[in-house]
Amino acid sequence: MKKIKQCLLLAVFMIPIGIFAQTTVNGTVTDQVTGGPLPGVSIIVVGTSTGTTTDFDGNYTLTVNDGAVLQFSYIGYKTVDIPVTGPNLDLVMEEDRAQLDEVVVIGYGTTTVKDATGSLTAVTSEDFNKGAIVSTDQLLTGKAAGVRITSSGGSPDAAPNIRIRGGASLSANNSPLIVIDGVPIDNTNPAGVNNPFSLINPNDVDSFSILKDASAAAIYGSRASNGVIIITTKKGTSGGPKFNFSSNTSISTVSSKIDLMDGPTYTKFINEYHPTYANLLGTSNTDWQDAIYRAAVSSDHNFSARANLFDKVPTRFSFGYNNTEGLVKTNDYERYTASVKFTPTFFDDHLKIDINAKGISSEKNAVDEGGALGGAVNMDPTKPIYDNSPDNRFGGFYQNTILDDVDNPTRLLLDGQWNPLALLLQRTRPEKVQKILGNVEFDYKMHFLPELRAVLNLGLEASTADIEESFSDNSLATYKFDSSNNDINTNYVFNPGVNYRENQSITNQTMDAYLVYAKRYEEGFLTNFDVQGGYSYQNFRNDGNKEEYRYNNDTGIRELQIDEQNPNNRYFNELNLQSFFGRTNLNLLDKYLVTVSFRADGSSLFSKDNRWGYFPAAALAWKVNEEDFLKDSQVINDLKLRLGWGKTGQQDITGAVGFYPSVPLFEAGSSTGQYLQGVALYSAKPFNEDLTWEKTTTYNAGIDFGLFENRLINGSFDVFYRETSDLLAKVPVAPGQGLTDSFVKNVGETESKGFEVILNATLLSNESTNLEFYSNLSYSRAEVTNLQDVTRISADGSGIPTGTGVNIGYHTVGYQPYSAWVFRQLYDTAGNPIHGAFADFNGDGITDNDDRYFKSLRPNWTFGFGFNFNYNKFDLSTSFRGQIGGQVYNSRRLTSGWVDKAVPNNSNSLSNVLDFNSGAANYNFVNIQGNVPFSDYFLEDATFLRCENIVLGYRLDDILKNTSMRVYGAVNNPFIITNYSGQDPENFNAIDNNFYPRPRSFTLGLSVDF
Amino acid sequence: MKKIILILFCILASVQGCTDDLNTEPLVEQSLDDLLANDPDAVSGILSRLYASFALSGPDGPSSGDISGDTGESPFLRGIINLQDFTADGMKNRWGDDGLDQLTTTSDWDENNKFFGYMYNRVYYTIPQANNLLSVLNSVSIDGQDQVVGEVKFLRGLAYYYLIDTFGKGVLVTENEIGVSAPLPEATRAELFTFVENDLLEAEALMSNTKSYGRANKAAVQMLLAKLYLNAEVYIGEDRYTEALTFIKKVIDEGGYTLAPDFVSNFSGDNDASPEIIFTLIADSETSQSYGNTTYIVNGSMGTETMPIINFGAAEGWSGHRATKAWYGLYDDNDDRGELFWTEGHNYEMADYKAWTDGYPSVKFRNSGFSTTLPATTFSSTDFPLYRLADAYLIYAECVLRGAAGGDAAQALNYVNAVRERSNANAIGSSELTLDFILDERARELNLEGQRRTDLIRFGKFTGNSYVWPWKGNTAQGTSIPDYYSLFPIPLSALEANPNLNQNPGF
Repeated sequence: MKKIKQCLLLAVFMIPIGIFAQTTVNGTVTDQVTGGPLPGVSIIVVGTSTGTTTDFDGNYTLTVNDGAVLQFSYIGYKTVDIPVTGPNLDLVMEEDRAQLDEVVVIGYGTTTVKDATGSLTAVTSEDFNKGAIVSTDQLLTGKAAGVRITSSGGSPDAAPNIRIRGGASLSANNSPLIVIDGVPIDNTNPAGVNNPFSLINPNDVDSFSILKDASAAAIYGSRASNGVIIITTKKGTSGGPKFNFSSNTSISTVSSKIDLMDGPTYTKFINEYHPTYANLLGTSNTDWQDAIYRAAVSSDHNFSARANLFDKVPTRFSFGYNNTEGLVKTNDYERYTASVKFTPTFFDDHLKIDINAKGISSEKNAVDEGGALGGAVNMDPTKPIYDNSPDNRFGGFYQNTILDDVDNPTRLLLDGQWNPLALLLQRTRPEKVQKILGNVEFDYKMHFLPELRAVLNLGLEASTADIEESFSDNSLATYKFDSSNNDINTNYVFNPGVNYRENQSITNQTMDAYLVYAKRYEEGFLTNFDVQGGYSYQNFRNDGNKEEYRYNNDTGIRELQIDEQNPNNRYFNELNLQSFFGRTNLNLLDKYLVTVSFRADGSSLFSKDNRWGYFPAAALAWKVNEEDFLKDSQVINDLKLRLGWGKTGQQDITGAVGFYPSVPLFEAGSSTGQYLQGVALYSAKPFNEDLTWEKTTTYNAGIDFGLFENRLINGSFDVFYRETSDLLAKVPVAPGQGLTDSFVKNVGETESKGFEVILNATLLSNESTNLEFYSNLSYSRAEVTNLQDVTRISADGSGIPTGTGVNIGYHTVGYQPYSAWVFRQLYDTAGNPIHGAFADFNGDGITDNDDRYFKSLRPNWTFGFGFNFNYNKFDLSTSFRGQIGGQVYNSRRLTSGWVDKAVPNNSNSLSNVLDFNSGAANYNFVNIQGNVPFSDYFLEDATFLRCENIVLGYRLDDILKNTSMRVYGAVNNPFIITNYSGQDPENFNAIDNNFYPRPRSFTLGLSVDF
Repeated sequence: MKKIILILFCILASVQGCTDDLNTEPLVEQSLDDLLANDPDAVSGILSRLYASFALSGPDGPSSGDISGDTGESPFLRGIINLQDFTADGMKNRWGDDGLDQLTTTSDWDENNKFFGYMYNRVYYTIPQANNLLSVLNSVSIDGQDQVVGEVKFLRGLAYYYLIDTFGKGVLVTENEIGVSAPLPEATRAELFTFVENDLLEAEALMSNTKSYGRANKAAVQMLLAKLYLNAEVYIGEDRYTEALTFIKKVIDEGGYTLAPDFVSNFSGDNDASPEIIFTLIADSETSQSYGNTTYIVNGSMGTETMPIINFGAAEGWSGHRATKAWYGLYDDNDDRGELFWTEGHNYEMADYKAWTDGYPSVKFRNSGFSTTLPATTFSSTDFPLYRLADAYLIYAECVLRGAAGGDAAQALNYVNAVRERSNANAIGSSELTLDFILDERARELNLEGQRRTDLIRFGKFTGNSYVWPWKGNTAQGTSIPDYYSLFPIPLSALEANPNLNQNPGF
């Protein structure tokens, strides 16, 4: 209060003085992030040549005329103009991430965006998605051109499906390589983990670098064919200690449910369409979807400290706690994270050591998603959730049952759909994971030859996972009978307790060792060059065992099931990758940049003769704005042209055929799969000794630009063309010519092409208001060009729920991979589909496979855009993303959208169906037979625009000394615009079946810096 | 400079040791050499697996699969029942499952039907596995090697037999074609026939009549040879009844089998004790679990709506299969076999094949013990009698009626009456013993044992309208189906994988 008075008093005196006089202004300029002083900031009185710079402590003094405006500028920071209103003018300067001299990590080194030759996109913390964020991938969704991230659903640990430029392979892994602080992460998740990104605290992430083309990715070689996402975590500080505490709480709700019948509608429907089954109806009105979903409350708390320990060791510590409730009841997720980073230097900066360690402990209660979500759809809505009758056996849950014999009953059997809420509440399945991810990097600049550096990076990714599934008493799943007892009232048993256990340990080791020689010339044609060569070793080992149980046929009691051949049900997988690599960067006249790299990669998945692949790459960049004719341009600040070419290899087919696909092996049969008595059963496993690297050649051309002052508009445009040969694809084996009917083979070719545009603009910028716009748009289209002897391959992942193994998607020569192969549905004059009637394209009078056509399931166009708006201390941001085109197969219509679905098949219980009256399904579909599932009636346009989040924040500076705070509210997934009639058109496999709905979340949070 | 050399040296030295790590070694799976070294019975273990292919889904229990697709639906035996019995007159399924429904109604067959694919893929899973074992046997020496080689050839021949019978053609692949990746040419039915005939003759010479539970012996090979010759007129247009008779006589005279005193004992949970069964497909509720062995037959024929399923040893009823009057209408009043249908709560006529109560479920197969008490279980313990003596007796009689040389009409009548009298059916006189009678007797005795479609085709009654049954051609009373339905369409996946293969005419 006293201070304010003084200020007011001073102001009163200043007014008359200011009219005539010059005044002296002084102040301190500090860094927004570190809070440390900024020396050397240039300060100019706008419109004059008067100016100064800050001293070592960030202080300045300047004499100015009344009404002067000061312009503060510093490289790497946003330039600001501030009118002088008093004798003291302190400034907190904000880093300008958009500036193109940002350092990006590119694999075995760094570069700046300005000097990069390949196609790479950097996404930094202020561009991240905000609000209710559980996992790191959610920060990036929709933010990077050409990177499509599709979560597999709304569970807290839902797997993100990430495709950069659409993915190149058919059956090999199409996910990009993820590198965290120099450690390439395993493609195999620990048991019980679906989302590898959930194991990194999103609050620790500083930036993403996405390497898209071959020349950029080539240096990561063996696993970089699908691009690379490099995640760099936040660093320590060289200034004084700084602390941050952030916390948020959110509540999530189901954004859209399936349009099923309610009790009265269903009763009417059964009476009208299936009157003979009306006796099976109940009298309740239960919304089974409401029964399994909840309003989920989640919270996230983080504390981080940054300091310069002993004035020598920049250090950052962080601790995080996340507790997320899934929308499906009991689907709880809890995570503790801790990280530490030391970046000390020794011997006059000759030796830099970068030490990172992250520890994660998470626990998730896994739910039976199929059972719960599917059950909520199928369960008869006229049946109650609970049954409080005294003879209820199932812990008070209603359950359909049937007597084994009507006249002379000896057992009360479960019948039809199991109560989905009982399934959720009667089982616990904590899946616990402890993981550490750490690396030490030594970067030594030779004392005798400073141009030469030796770098050794040792990384470790280790985790243990423990799963224990158990049931409570009276649970449906453990309801069994004692065969020796025929009294219906006493012959049943329940088996509470442990039903399954799994323990797993994963140990992955990484080592990179390389030498770099870098030389800079003060003059001459060659400005600088570097050359490096090295070796990389990666080993992935996954070792686990399972404890399995069975129910005794006589007693109904659960007992351990021992597999004599493999008592612990052990599994063991090991993958080894090794590479030799070299790269050189040349900078000519500071205008022309050349990168050439070459690598040899070996994979343990292939037999000795086919093990090594050789992958060269080259790139050129021309910094046009350094040419004389643009050097002084006021319009074009930045202009760079890039050309890249390169080959990358793909070997990861472990998802399709395991870790030993090239050698003949025998597998012992399990205890339930034995046959002849007295001998152990052995099965010859299929293999293909000819397997070798899939090769992708990418051509890329790009342009980076920055227009107008301070690059008010900047962006980039890239086009690419990609050919993949020796495609690793799981193809049908010519009958009899292999040990099974389908296996992976190097077969055929695909090609793809596309482009990406990034456009960012500062629409408004003054001292109080700032409005920025960002956007990205990408197009990619792939085509299968050759499959050798095969014309099309049934595509994994495109199974439709009409029996196991029925796929709608095919990889077919001449079409986009993963296209639906369908019949054209015929409609009557009223626009209703005619059941089983399809266009006879070839006019031969019958509709058979010759009349099917292909429809691309995957979208060709994806986009994201958003705004960041600041007004004084308020900030408002929103981000959107979506896709144009693509199809989604509305499986709900297939499983629940036909009239006869309601009546029992092999039970005495009715099933709910989609609401025919609301148009969710059509009465013309009485049953599903023959070619009906392959009708394009089930395909719908998957175009959508989703609002990812809206965030409103307010900043309170100096609430205490040196303490600032931001409070915010956010809505995630507030709305989606789409014509899709089902639940959610955003579906990676394009098959909408038992989809875990994505939550709509409302978050309140705060972040305190001190 | 020295330092640089030193660093380079260090890197190279460590790399030298590391590149060996590219030879990763599995710890759970074993190479052939390790397997042979670790388990003296390894070859029997691989052989066990080959037998299991006819009954189980895969090596890791009922949810594992040797071939693509649904693990429960894809075992060999389930395919045999689906393709041989549900397509024929005596058995219908009511689930309306896509693919199965078309079999049940003998209509709308096409190359997309997954059940054709399961059978085809199962055949071509078993054959290369057999080829692989034959090549293993070429490199090892074990006790009773000849017998094992004979067994493997029998199993391979059995798989080819079903290919010849159901699809009529396919590639011929033997142990000599291991490693050939270029698509092989399509072999005709006659080429396959000749190969199987010769291979089985070789096997027969190698084997003895020693009985070993679940394994094939000389009699089993002779039985298969007899079936091949019996249907030769269909398969290759040649009358080979004399050879069929020759081999069936050997089965009867030299095999050492006798009819079980009680018919039902052959289809009960303890049928491993039956003296009649020549070749059996093992099922065990604990150690050999499958949704595609007799579990499919027993549970599928049980429905809690109308039946006391526990009485038949079943813990689950799937309310799926019922017989039709084309089967249960064939019995005389005192024939015990005619009692093996659940009639209470069911209608004689099958007005709606999808209504559980239309048609009688067959309780011929059950999981309860015949002479022992067994608990009701989810998975069946009843073995499937693929070949049994009663079948051999009826084949003998049929061959004689078809004019095979070396047979005896009186003996034929004796055999037929032995089969009938065992079930208290009236003995017949020689004038009643006609081919039509044989076809009906085969239904009475062998329905739901995976024989019916082949029998109907051999008697010229499967396609066309000379004989109709409920829901033949998708009408309640039955109607004509085209002649090309005597073969199944080659599955799409096979046509796509080998361009040398051609679709069967009509499809």
